[in-house]
Amino acid sequence: MKSSVKLHFCRWDLIVAAAILLLAGGLTFGYWGQTVSAAGSGLTAVVSANGEEIDRVDLASLKTAEERTYTDLGYTLTVEFSPDGVCVETSDCPTQDCVHTGTITRAGQSIVCLPARISVQLKADVGQAASSGDFDVMIG
Amino acid sequence: MKKILSMIVLAAVLCALAGCAAPAKSAASSGGDGASAEIFAMDTVMDLTAYGDNGETALKAAEEKINALEDLLSRTREDSEISKLNAAGGQPVEVDPEAFSLISRAQGLGYAVDSTFNITIAPVVSAWGFTTDHYQVPSQAELSELLTHVDLADIELNPDGTVALKNGASIDLGGIAKGYASDCVSDIFTDNGITSGKISLGGNVYVCGGKVDGTPWRVAVQDPKDETGWVGVLKLKDAFAVTSGGYQRYFEENGKRYHHIIDPATGYPAESGLVSVTVVANAYQTSATGSGTMCDAYSTAFFVMGADKALNFWRSNQSKDPFDLVLVTEDNRVLVTSGLADEFEENEGSDYTYEIVR
Amino acid sequence: MKITTKQLTLCAVLTALALALSYVENMIPLGLLIPLPGIKLGLANIVTVFALYALGPGQALLILLARCTLGAVFAGNLNALLFSLMGGLSAMLVMIALSRLKRLSIYGVSMGGAAAHNCGQVAAAVLTLGNLAPLGYLPLLLGISLFTGTLTGLIAGLLFRAMEHTNLMKA
Repeated sequence: MKSSVKLHFCRWDLIVAAAILLLAGGLTFGYWGQTVSAAGSGLTAVVSANGEEIDRVDLASLKTAEERTYTDLGYTLTVEFSPDGVCVETSDCPTQDCVHTGTITRAGQSIVCLPARISVQLKADVGQAASSGDFDVMIG
Repeated sequence: MKKILSMIVLAAVLCALAGCAAPAKSAASSGGDGASAEIFAMDTVMDLTAYGDNGETALKAAEEKINALEDLLSRTREDSEISKLNAAGGQPVEVDPEAFSLISRAQGLGYAVDSTFNITIAPVVSAWGFTTDHYQVPSQAELSELLTHVDLADIELNPDGTVALKNGASIDLGGIAKGYASDCVSDIFTDNGITSGKISLGGNVYVCGGKVDGTPWRVAVQDPKDETGWVGVLKLKDAFAVTSGGYQRYFEENGKRYHHIIDPATGYPAESGLVSVTVVANAYQTSATGSGTMCDAYSTAFFVMGADKALNFWRSNQSKDPFDLVLVTEDNRVLVTSGLADEFEENEGSDYTYEIVR
Repeated sequence: MKITTKQLTLCAVLTALALALSYVENMIPLGLLIPLPGIKLGLANIVTVFALYALGPGQALLILLARCTLGAVFAGNLNALLFSLMGGLSAMLVMIALSRLKRLSIYGVSMGGAAAHNCGQVAAAVLTLGNLAPLGYLPLLLGISLFTGTLTGLIAGLLFRAMEHTNLMKA
């Protein structure tokens, strides 16, 4: 044996345990105290026009539904953001696919308006619990 | 003796350290959301994400490649290789080598599936208005006439690199271009050392490696009846997955729904009892280069064939270019081939019944 | 560092043991409680604790590096390497330091090691994800580390008692 080993739990070990608990307690206050308001649905809606991000809405921070309008390539979309999801309320594009998509509520989902080249994507905040229905990409 | 042993141990440790250092570095600097891009091309929206040091570089190269392919292959751009070929009135035309090999590949894949995937269907699709968004139901007489120009044998690929479209044929590579583009992006990712990434090119998905944490990508297969719902989730690494469905583009006339996947045998939208077909292939298992191209062509072909023929084809093609299927039928069944049994996660909240096919 | 054949053999056995423990660890669904990819309890620290006392810091470090590398190679997942290395090395450093405090028993040392292990893993998660969100799970993980640390110390202690009657560790 290189060094003698104490194999029985002793008082000094309690100090280590207490130090760890203290660290845990401090972190709890320091971290969750600050971010408690940001916790929630954990979803962020990212609006892009022709691939460039033009807006970003943290759904959790919304208290009621909020409408915003975006214009690109001559078409105007009215998008409704609510704490639970996002939908395109109205659009003057010819295909109306974006309106027909309905409300998206989960991370990974998106609404796309091809004529206007506008897209709305829902992204999960990193570190958010993954639930069974979550996915990274949808095909179809 | 002791010296030799300690030398060996030291060498082993050095190797281990060298092995540790490299990946740890790249994993650390690939933090954040990774690089991502959204591109509108090939009449669809494309999402690309790449993690790693070369993420931005790889995406830039991918975007350039996709735009170049669109210039090369689009049927609606008058100066594309395909438009020139279609306008040549049967004369041999010298085409870009890449377009040449893709036409050749499309013809080969078409023959393999008994012409249920057929790039000479172009004039019929145009008659339905799917290329111009001015939808209409063509008359039977018009369709019968147009179908006489639908034949893979009318594509003449000459050894001198020229192509001639005989007998009034014209071609549209739309059913294979996105799949081919996904193959190209896959190569670009590999060349740039990307080990984690995902791309979605309008129904064509390619996932590179797994997620940054090493777990598989979760690829949801859309519910044909509900645009925001899904029939199941595929857990995939290094794989291509392509879905074809009649719900993707359609119009209604006199209460009847007409979708965009035309059966080359009848000239009408395919009615095979399937509402969606997803073809999945491993990115590195396929012997032929270009699994994405293959999946794209097969997804269309199987949609036209129907479940029975598609499953027979699957059973008889497992040795050469293995692939797997997720078929959704009109009567709410989801058929998953055995190779995906462990990778497919059912959507328990849906009203589908699930079967593993062997 | 001079290594006798006996020590080398012991190192190899301990590396194999640590690898087996890493594997067993994968079966514990910690991810259900803490949705951070790559987070582990750190059962393989049993071997680190034992090796630290029985063979000294140098060889304990060798075993740790071999375990992390081989584990990542076997799993075919080099990203996990960052997690296991950061966790393992943090635990190692803290335990080397704590083991110098002669008043602490094996329990105190391994609890400190377990806490450091979790800190290192959360640091790895912060690095890979690129934001501070994983820090939120650290308090819970530290609480768990008291339990795993006690368990690790207990098992390593049992190992010592069992080995006392052999001449395996006499150089």
